[in-house]
Amino acid sequence: MAGVLFEDIFDVKDIDPDGKKFDRVSRLFCESESFKMDLILDVHSQIYPVELGDKFRMVLATTLREDGTPDDGEYNAVQSGPSRADSFEYVMYGKVYRLEGDDTGQDSSRLAAYVSFGGLLMRLQGDANNLHGFEVDSFVYLLMKKLAF
Amino acid sequence: MVKDQFREADVAKKISHVTFGVMTPLEMQQMSHLQVVSKNMYSQDGSRKPVAFGVLDHRMGTSEKDNNCETCGGNLADCTGHYGHVDLELPCFHIGFFRSIIVLLQMICKTCSRILLLPEDRKSFLDNLKRQLSYLQRKGLKKKISAKCRKLAKCPHCGSYNGMVKKCGLLKIVHDKYKQTSKNRDPVVTDFLTSFEFATSHNKEIDMLFSKTQEVLNPLRVQQLFKRIIHEDVPLLLMNPDVARPEDMILTRILVPPICIRPSVVSDLKAGTNEDDITVKLTEIIFLNDVIQKHRATGAKMQMIMEDWDFLQLQVALLYNSETSGIPLHMQPKKSIRGFVQRLKGKQGRFRGNLSGKRVDFSGRTVISPDPNMRIDQVAVPIHVAKVLTYPERVNKANIKLMKQLILNGCDTHPGANFIQQRDNSIKRFLRYGNRDKIAKSLKYGDIVERHMMDGDVVLFNRQPSLHKLSIQAFFSKIMPHRTFRFNECCCNPFNADFDGDEMNLHLPQTEEAKAEALTLMGSKSNIVTPRNGEPLIAAIQDFITGGYLLTQKDVFFDRGRVCKLVSSMLCGTDAALRIDLPPPAICKPCRLWTGKQVFSLLLRPNNDCPVKANLRTKGKNYSSGEDLCVNDSFVVIRNSQLLCGAMDKGTLGSGSKNNIFYVLLRDYGEQCIADALSRLARLLCPAYLSNRGFSIGIGDVTPGTGLIKAKEMLLDDGYTKCDGYIRDLENGKLQCQPGCSEEETLEAIILRELSVIRDHAGKACLRELHRTNSPLTMAICGSKGSFINISQMIACVGQQAISGKRVPNGFEDRALPHFERFSKDPAARGFVENSFYTGLTPTEFFFHTMAGREGLVDTAVKTAETGYMQRRLVKSLEDLCSHYDLTVRNSMGDIVQFQYGGDGLDPVSMEGKDQPIDFDKVLRHVTANSCIECRAELPLSGSDLVQLVDVSLQEDKFAECSDEIKEDIRNFIESVAKNISSTRKRFQMERKHTSRIPKVLFELDRITSSQAVMFLDSCRDKFLRARIEPGTAVGAVCAQSIGEPGTQMTLKTFHFAGVASMNITQGVPRIKEIINASKNISTPIITAHLETDSDAEFARVVKGRIEITTLGEVSEYLEEVFLPDDCFMLVKLDLDRIRLLKLEVSVGSIKESICSSKFKIKHQNVHIHSEAVLTVHPVETSKSSMYYVLQQLKKELPKIMIKGIPTVARAVIHIDESHGDKYKLLVEGDKLLAVMATMGVKGTHTTSNNTFEVEKCLGIEAARTTIMNEIVYTMVNHGMSIDMRHVMLLADLMTYKGEVLGITRFGLAKMKESVLMLASFEKTADHLFEAAYHGQKDAINGQI
Repeated sequence: MAGVLFEDIFDVKDIDPDGKKFDRVSRLFCESESFKMDLILDVHSQIYPVELGDKFRMVLATTLREDGTPDDGEYNAVQSGPSRADSFEYVMYGKVYRLEGDDTGQDSSRLAAYVSFGGLLMRLQGDANNLHGFEVDSFVYLLMKKLAF
Repeated sequence: MVKDQFREADVAKKISHVTFGVMTPLEMQQMSHLQVVSKNMYSQDGSRKPVAFGVLDHRMGTSEKDNNCETCGGNLADCTGHYGHVDLELPCFHIGFFRSIIVLLQMICKTCSRILLLPEDRKSFLDNLKRQLSYLQRKGLKKKISAKCRKLAKCPHCGSYNGMVKKCGLLKIVHDKYKQTSKNRDPVVTDFLTSFEFATSHNKEIDMLFSKTQEVLNPLRVQQLFKRIIHEDVPLLLMNPDVARPEDMILTRILVPPICIRPSVVSDLKAGTNEDDITVKLTEIIFLNDVIQKHRATGAKMQMIMEDWDFLQLQVALLYNSETSGIPLHMQPKKSIRGFVQRLKGKQGRFRGNLSGKRVDFSGRTVISPDPNMRIDQVAVPIHVAKVLTYPERVNKANIKLMKQLILNGCDTHPGANFIQQRDNSIKRFLRYGNRDKIAKSLKYGDIVERHMMDGDVVLFNRQPSLHKLSIQAFFSKIMPHRTFRFNECCCNPFNADFDGDEMNLHLPQTEEAKAEALTLMGSKSNIVTPRNGEPLIAAIQDFITGGYLLTQKDVFFDRGRVCKLVSSMLCGTDAALRIDLPPPAICKPCRLWTGKQVFSLLLRPNNDCPVKANLRTKGKNYSSGEDLCVNDSFVVIRNSQLLCGAMDKGTLGSGSKNNIFYVLLRDYGEQCIADALSRLARLLCPAYLSNRGFSIGIGDVTPGTGLIKAKEMLLDDGYTKCDGYIRDLENGKLQCQPGCSEEETLEAIILRELSVIRDHAGKACLRELHRTNSPLTMAICGSKGSFINISQMIACVGQQAISGKRVPNGFEDRALPHFERFSKDPAARGFVENSFYTGLTPTEFFFHTMAGREGLVDTAVKTAETGYMQRRLVKSLEDLCSHYDLTVRNSMGDIVQFQYGGDGLDPVSMEGKDQPIDFDKVLRHVTANSCIECRAELPLSGSDLVQLVDVSLQEDKFAECSDEIKEDIRNFIESVAKNISSTRKRFQMERKHTSRIPKVLFELDRITSSQAVMFLDSCRDKFLRARIEPGTAVGAVCAQSIGEPGTQMTLKTFHFAGVASMNITQGVPRIKEIINASKNISTPIITAHLETDSDAEFARVVKGRIEITTLGEVSEYLEEVFLPDDCFMLVKLDLDRIRLLKLEVSVGSIKESICSSKFKIKHQNVHIHSEAVLTVHPVETSKSSMYYVLQQLKKELPKIMIKGIPTVARAVIHIDESHGDKYKLLVEGDKLLAVMATMGVKGTHTTSNNTFEVEKCLGIEAARTTIMNEIVYTMVNHGMSIDMRHVMLLADLMTYKGEVLGITRFGLAKMKESVLMLASFEKTADHLFEAAYHGQKDAINGQI
């Protein structure tokens, strides 16, 4: 699929380990199934509650258009045409602002990508090869859909 | 028709210098217009006309409107007055020169009037005088010559004997001519004494009076002596014969000042006039003159004439200085008058009240109030004020239409005008009356219209106390209804203003030049940062911070309607037509929601065309760990003006931090940008967001929950048990003493610490237990107002009340209040308040609380006065220092104080880092973030490539202007960056593989491309060049303000522990005062001595033993007197265990030496050593006392004999420096720096004292300078104030540049400054003026007076 940077299925391993600090935002600690990626993600828990042990599919894409034509990064009040978001439950828009070698891990080739969705943070950590298309200062969409067991 | 450029055109002559001197009677006569002889002021016929040749004769000018001057014909406004003179019947001493006269008499022979110098001394002094001497040198030389003269008793010229000359009573000088000492057998004296032989033979009693015979030197005699001083000797008296001769110091004629400076006031209430003190005094003098004249004519008794003469002298003295002391009771004037000296001196005097500062026109004052709708460079001026304050605007092509309209509006409609001055005549026309239509029609180019203040006029806005240059700033006016001055709250900080009824002043500059100058130099936008340390002062405060914090919380979401409403609140004023690009929502599905952080980002960069791309990456106030992923969301990352994570708080929004986002805007995008952003913030956050969201406080907010109550109880229980334990320990004598403390002191220190901790812990418990939405807690967390201690006091526990750093002292017998038991050491009995303000205080607690509160109030009141005076002294001594074009800092005389300002010639205002001009990290981050997209195509540099590129670039010509230091810093920084890059590349094994096979994402790590590197260097260069100090900057004044102003904010915390509990050192304002006064005896002198072996506690103890005083009594088991049949002696038994324990290096032998060398003069043969621990001291009978008493004296004195240590060092304490891994050093109380340095085991090269004077004496002036700097910085840092090093350096340099440490006091100042006017405007006005007149000093006018 054009415009997709990353796609995987994650298990929620932990929610707010330091206690719930914000009323409407929870921090999820997840692990991916196929690429063994670690994910930390803030979600709006009021409109999209996630439980411990939930499984979800997550896609990071540069555009919502199905055909993969790039986004202009401007807000458009009226939606037009089919959107990739249609098949997902929860969609966020944000910016990759930091890519960093992961000092903590034992594995030396791990990278960490930081994305901020208007202050809701995501950190995706894993092998550099899985984070291939990531560029600092690029805009990304995060699309999530919970999977039924 | 352009307005003429402002020039000082009226000045025909420029004053180059002022010469002080003493007027001769002849000069007085030449100056005067008439001799005043009549003692009456008005003619007695009731016509109230001034009598001719009286003190009010109109030939000396006028003080009334209806009388013109009879000499020049001018009226009250035009006539500057004319002098008269009074001839004194008998000469009088001039009170101002009285001391000089005595000194002068001591220097000359009282017989032949030649100077009392040996010919060779005279010659060498004359040679000295031939050189061009500065004022200070002349003063020094005078002291030297006078000292030399006083030593010589016999005149080398005529050989006559000269005795002591001294003052004897008021205005009387006597010469001890006939004093006979054993040495002095002068024939003149013996002749004189023998001449009384006949008298003595008849009356024995007068014999004893001969020794007291003295010669009285009355003014007449002195005048004769002075007149005979030869011309060649006058320079040796350090007088300038051109402007002052010695005899001029004796008054034979006094000037009568013009009437206009001593006006008579016609009072409405009673008949007659009130005359000025000087007028009255002058009539008295004339009257006495008449009396003496009459007495002399009629041949009255000599005694009467002398009495009158004394009285005349007194009156003349009082005319000059009415505060003359030592007046005999019967002559004391009934009411004190204002003499000439009194008119000059003091705050209201001519110098400080009229020359250095004066009242001005075009100013207004009223109450201030806040208005977030004002921009930060605007002030709202009431219409009432605007109609009074006018600006003279010249009519030209561009404004004639407006001006016509203004004239038509007249005085009473707001944009109007009050006066018009037509170009072709000089008459000013008032626009309230007359035909305004006609005037408007005839308005021509070049006319001047005094129009009302209008929107956009530049005004100066000021609040007292004006402690620093930011206390007066230029704003744009905005005319508004109502009656207060209003401005944006962000501008409160520099003025230190609040709105509890504060008033402020407003001035309207009257020329275009003044406006332009005010705007660039004093504009509020140009003064966002304080020159004290380069931190921003104008920044968000209070509610803006709360609003910013709440808006940028992680869980703040807005739907489209709300976000648009919020964002549109920015549109106002100049921003009304601002385009705002709303970003896509952060959450697109299930519903579209924007976050608060997105809104905040819009405030910094409203649309995509906006060039502002600020970058910031810093820890917040509540940062825990994990950088970006901090659980409290308190790691702020702003990238290209987008807030990516973290909540804004005091650190990132408020003043006093360089991590402020507005500071970043200012440094990278200039002042207009920050002004816009702050104005947007002020409108968006407080009124729009916070008032919609709601933020209030109620009783519920301060009600503790059960958890908190339990936590508090546990804390209290715990603390109380501990305290009880300590008290019990003390009773049982088990309490371990702290070094240098008694048991009681130790207990107090421990308990005070324990109890203080309770409040802090309670604060932490509050943070834990209270809900996040608790308003006081929110405010404390984001730093907008209040602290955790405040919350803890409201909710949990008020805590220990301390009075001058100790627990509450006894107010009653052995207890603080009669409600407690005697000697009780309980927390409650000594001022611990366990209740909170919510639960309410018990009566005793309340009383203790008021005690502490009162101390605070008293302290503030005292401190304001003290710091005010300190500020004045600092400013007076530093005001004339400024930077020059050769980069030096010089004073007004051209003396160099610093060769380069601050050692690097950089301006403290533009310091981005701590005392550093550039924060490289920040710049690199900014450059790489800004150019991220453009440089996407470029390949990133490897570590070695980067270093090479930078090295080559720094050699280029454009970096030639940069100093080597900064280039070195850049190189070092780049090397560290390169090291990071290399290590990253190594880790991902990027070097080994071919470029195409490396995942592209890896190049994103530590990415710096070559163009980015060049941009970085350019940016650094730019910042460095901008940071250089401008020649002509008043660095001295800025330094004085930067040190004085924080002094006023130092509150209460007078004493502070310096690591060791027992060693208090003076802190706060008293300490700063000590340092800048260069006090010789400071209250807590402490020597810090590093040890040669600093990791060994034993070694430290040994050295301590060498330094600290040990007396014989302390190491003896017993001292006893032994009586044997044939002998008696003192037996001393040493406590060897104790000596070993204390690591003292003493033995019986050394103790014997100590005993023998003590002041009791015990001889060696009288001290016998019997064993290692026993020695005996045998008394010796003397002629004065018997054996027994000598023994008793020995018994008393022996224990006090010092056997080891440095005298006067009472205490040395071993200090364990835990920060560097248990390093030991010694803190020695006392002043013996030299002795401590020379002690074995002490590392002399690392030993310092906090006593500047001691350091100067021992190590020299450079060390003293460093000590001054270190001590000031240390004191300031202890109070949480940061001051740029350059200011402290300048102050230290000023105090030491003369080669000795000079205090910032009137004594030090007199040794630093040459200018008489400058000294006179500081303190002791009259003394300086009289001294200058004596010396005939020439004062060049160059800058500061």
